[in-house]
Amino acid sequence: MRPAASWVHGPDLVLALVILAGCGILYYVTSTFEEVAPLFADNIGPSWFPRLMLWSIALLALVLPFEHLFVVGGRKRLDEDRTDRVKPIALATAGLLLLLVLAVELVGMALAAVLVSAFLPLLWGERRYKVLIPFAILFPAAVTLLFARVLKIYFDPGLFGFAFG
Amino acid sequence: MEYLLHGFGEVLEPYNLMVILIGVLVGVLVGALPGLSSPMAVALLIPFTLTLEPVPAIAMLAALYCAGTFGGSITAILINAPGTPPAVATAFDGYPMAKRGEAGRALGMAAVASVIGGVFSLIVFLLATPWLARVALEFRPQEYFALTLFALSMLASISGRSSIRNLISGALGILLGTVGVHLTSGVERFTFGVAELTDGIHFVPVLIGLFAMSELLAQSSTAKIAYERITSIVIKLPSKADFLKVRWTLLRSSCIGTFIGILPAEGSTVAAIIGYNEAKRFSKDKAEFGKGAIEGIAGPEAANNAATGGAMVPTLALGIPGSATAAVILAALVAHGVRPGPRLLNDTPEFVYVIFAAMLIANLMFFAIGLGGAKVFSRITLIPRTLLWPAVFVFSMVGAYSAASSLADVWIMLLAGFAGFVMQRHGFGAAPLVMGLILGRLVEESLSQSMIIFDNNWLRFFESPICLLFFALTLLGLFWSPLISALQRRGAPRRVPGAAP
Repeated sequence: MRPAASWVHGPDLVLALVILAGCGILYYVTSTFEEVAPLFADNIGPSWFPRLMLWSIALLALVLPFEHLFVVGGRKRLDEDRTDRVKPIALATAGLLLLLVLAVELVGMALAAVLVSAFLPLLWGERRYKVLIPFAILFPAAVTLLFARVLKIYFDPGLFGFAFG
Repeated sequence: MEYLLHGFGEVLEPYNLMVILIGVLVGVLVGALPGLSSPMAVALLIPFTLTLEPVPAIAMLAALYCAGTFGGSITAILINAPGTPPAVATAFDGYPMAKRGEAGRALGMAAVASVIGGVFSLIVFLLATPWLARVALEFRPQEYFALTLFALSMLASISGRSSIRNLISGALGILLGTVGVHLTSGVERFTFGVAELTDGIHFVPVLIGLFAMSELLAQSSTAKIAYERITSIVIKLPSKADFLKVRWTLLRSSCIGTFIGILPAEGSTVAAIIGYNEAKRFSKDKAEFGKGAIEGIAGPEAANNAATGGAMVPTLALGIPGSATAAVILAALVAHGVRPGPRLLNDTPEFVYVIFAAMLIANLMFFAIGLGGAKVFSRITLIPRTLLWPAVFVFSMVGAYSAASSLADVWIMLLAGFAGFVMQRHGFGAAPLVMGLILGRLVEESLSQSMIIFDNNWLRFFESPICLLFFALTLLGLFWSPLISALQRRGAPRRVPGAAP
C-alpha cells in the first residue's frame, strides 16, 4: 500500500518559516519607528502601512506549505526550478561578484570593471587569452569612457584607483 | 490631431530618429540573444537615457520594447533558442520550418506578423489611452487603491506558476517602496541608519539586479552551451497564398494580443501562447502544428507584438504597467520627472503621442532591419557567453552607479540580483516585485487618503461601485486559476492502472 501523501510540502514549509521569521523581524523594526502624534499623522502612522504589508505577506506565507494541493501540477511544478542543487559555479560567481563590488571602493569603478572582465570569464572557463586580454581592457574602457565623457558621470577613483570624469 | 502631428514632428527630427534606430538595433540584438530580455535591456539603458532629454529617452526605450519582442523570434526560428520568453511559441513551428529549408519564409512571416500586430495595437493605443485617461480622471483615492489592487492581482494570477508566490513578491515590492521617509509624518522607515536609503530605494539598481544579475547567476551554469544553427537564409516576404492563409489568424491574434496587453499583467508571453493556441484551434491543418505550420508563426508573433502597444495603454493612462517591460518604462518615465496617469494627458499630452509615433516608427524600422539583417543578428549568438555575461555585469555595475552616482546603488543592485536568483529558484516572480515597488507609493498614498476620507472605516470602500467592480475582478483574478484547476481535477477521468498515460 502506498503511504498517503503529506498535506504539507516540506520545502515550502521551510520557505514559509523563513518568510515568517523575516516578517517577525521587520515587524519588530516597525515598532522602533519614531512615534508621532495621531493628529500629525492623520491617524495613519508611519508603521501602519508597512505592518499591513507584513501581515499580508505573513498570511500568504501560511498558505505556501499547502499550495501544492491546489496548483496545477502540484509539488512537481512547484519544485521545477529547485530540484537541482545550486551549482558550485553559481556560488563561486556570486562570491566573485561580491569581491569585485567590494573592490570598487579600493580601486575605483574603471579598474573594477577591468577586473570583472578578466576574472569572470576566467572563472567560467574562458582560456582564449588572445580574445580575453583585449576584451578585458577594451570593453571596460569603452563603457567607462562612454559614461564618463559622453554622459558626464564622475567615477570615484577609489583608494588607489584612477578616475574618469 | 494637433498633438499627434506634434508627436510625429518631434520623433522625425534627425536626432530622435537616430536614437530610435539605436533603440531598435539594441532591441533586436538583445531580443535575439537568449537570456537577455527586454525588461533587462530597458533597465540597463535607463541610466544611459537619464542624461538625454525626456523625449528621445522615452522614444528610445519604447523603440527597444517593440524591437526586443521581435528580435526573440530570430533565434527562435534559426537555432530553436527563443531570445525572449514571448518568442517561445514561435519556435514550435519556426524551427521545424527552418530545418526543412524554409527559414527565410518563417522569418519573413514573423516580421510581417509582428508589424501587423504592432501597428494594430498602436491604433488601439491611440484611441483607448485618452478615453481611459478621461475615465480615470473621475477616480478618487479609494478607486485608485482598488485599481492598483486589481493590477497586482492580475499579475499574480496570470504570470508565473503560483499566484500566492507572485502576491508575496508584489507585497514585498510594495514593502520595499516604504523604505525611506514617510511622506505624511517625515519619519524614517527601514533605513537602518543608512543615509542613502533616506530617499527610498531607487528603481534602477533594483531593476538591473532583478532582471540582469539574477539571470547572470542562472546563466553561470550554462556558459558553455553551443547552439546548432541554420546557416542558409534567404529572407522571403510571405507569398499571397501564405498571406491569405493567415489573414484571420493575424487579425485574431492582433486583437488577442492587444487585449492581453491592456490587462495589467505580463503581456507578451501570455499573448503569444494564447495567440498560438487560438491559431491552432481555428486552423484547418491542426496536424501541421509543431511540424512547421505558417499559422504557428503568424499567431504568436502578431499577438506578442500587439501586446506591446496594448501594454502601454494602462501604463500611460492609469500609471499601472501592462507588462514587466512597461513597468520598467514607467520607472524610466518617473525618473525623467513624468508621472504617468490620467493627468499625463492633461499636463503633457505630447508625451503620449511621442511614444505612439516612436513605437510606430520602431515597428517600421525593425521590419526593414529584421528582414535585411536577420542573418547578421543570428550570428550574435556566436558571441561566447563567457564574455557576454561579464560584459552585462560591467554595464550593470556602471549603470547602477550612474543612476545617482552612488556606490550604495551598486550594492543594492547586487543584493537585488542575489535575492532575484533565490526567488526565481523558489518560483517567486521578479515582475510582481518590480510592479509592487513602482506602485508601492501609489498604493500607500491612495489607501492612506481613503482611510482618512473614510474616517478609518474600511466598509466605506464598498460604497463605491467602481471599487466594488475592481474588488470583484480582483477576487475573480485570484481564484479563477485554482477554481479551474480544482474543477479539472474533479472532472478528469480516473486512470486505469496499467493504462497508457
